[in-house]
Amino acid sequence: MQACAERTQVASTTRLRIGDPHRSRVGWAAMTDIRSDLENTEVEPEPADLDPSTEVDLDAETPEQRQARFEADALPFLDQLYSAGLRMTRSPHDAEDLVQETYAKAFSAFHQFTPGTNLKAWLYRILTNTYINSYRKKQRQPQQITDEIEDWQVAAAEAHTSSGLKSAEMEALEHLPDSDVKDALQQLPDDFRYAVYLADVEGFPYKEIAEIMDTPIGTVMSRLHRGRRMLRELLSDYARDRGMAATGAGDQA
Amino acid sequence: MSCDNCDEALQNLYLFLDQEIDTASIEDIQDHIDNCSSCLTAYDLERVVKSLVSRSCAEKAPAPLRDKVLFTIRSVHVEVTEKRRTT
Repeated sequence: MQACAERTQVASTTRLRIGDPHRSRVGWAAMTDIRSDLENTEVEPEPADLDPSTEVDLDAETPEQRQARFEADALPFLDQLYSAGLRMTRSPHDAEDLVQETYAKAFSAFHQFTPGTNLKAWLYRILTNTYINSYRKKQRQPQQITDEIEDWQVAAAEAHTSSGLKSAEMEALEHLPDSDVKDALQQLPDDFRYAVYLADVEGFPYKEIAEIMDTPIGTVMSRLHRGRRMLRELLSDYARDRGMAATGAGDQA
Repeated sequence: MSCDNCDEALQNLYLFLDQEIDTASIEDIQDHIDNCSSCLTAYDLERVVKSLVSRSCAEKAPAPLRDKVLFTIRSVHVEVTEKRRTT
């Protein structure tokens, strides 16, 4: 914020002082990495490492401009948030409602979002909170179960895979249809499934998953560990079944 | 066949796949799994599971949802501006 204000000030004084804009453009372009689409616009000192989207003067921004910025920056995450919503709610209808509510909340709070920080993680955080507050209560599922998963389940998964998959089964695993994978994911406890989703689908670092799920990093790691073990076991079962079906009775898919 | 190196490699399996460890450790582990078939199998298996999840979960939001979201945003916006005008 402060850097932003300083920059604006520097920019305006630079503009006032420099008589020949072409000279300054060459100067700054030579020193910094101005993108081609910015070259013809007003010349400003442009630190190369600063994302152009961070240049938002929040105080001067009109509501119309803020709305346009929100639509431009946040709407591209629609598919991703919907996919996540679908994994959480397990229902397309609820996922739509959840995403709509998320965007409404995010837009209302958008003035609190610091431009240049991680918008995707911020939106996921709102999605997660909205889900916990509105949908989990509605579903009335005993969610506490997640962190008390019996260790025998984990141990069973461990023993199961330590026998190793034959290469044919590994291949069957790789070719499992999406529906099997979604089905297996749906069988994981909520928190495990969501941690795995955030890490594997969205590629969030552990630190961000911890912020999104509002838990310590250690809990994230443990959820990932257990979730993946359970998932691996389930998927290996599907792969074995399909592998056997394929090699056993040829025409029986 | 299990040894200290295997233990270390397996302990760091997820950290490795999620790119949560420093480059030095990545190289050590890579060296180990390149030469240890049982660890390599374990890593391959986890890599396959990870890529399966990422492949299977990319959904496209239904087209009307985009319009609904835009409508919601714009009605929130109208509310906000009206509130500002009245105060």
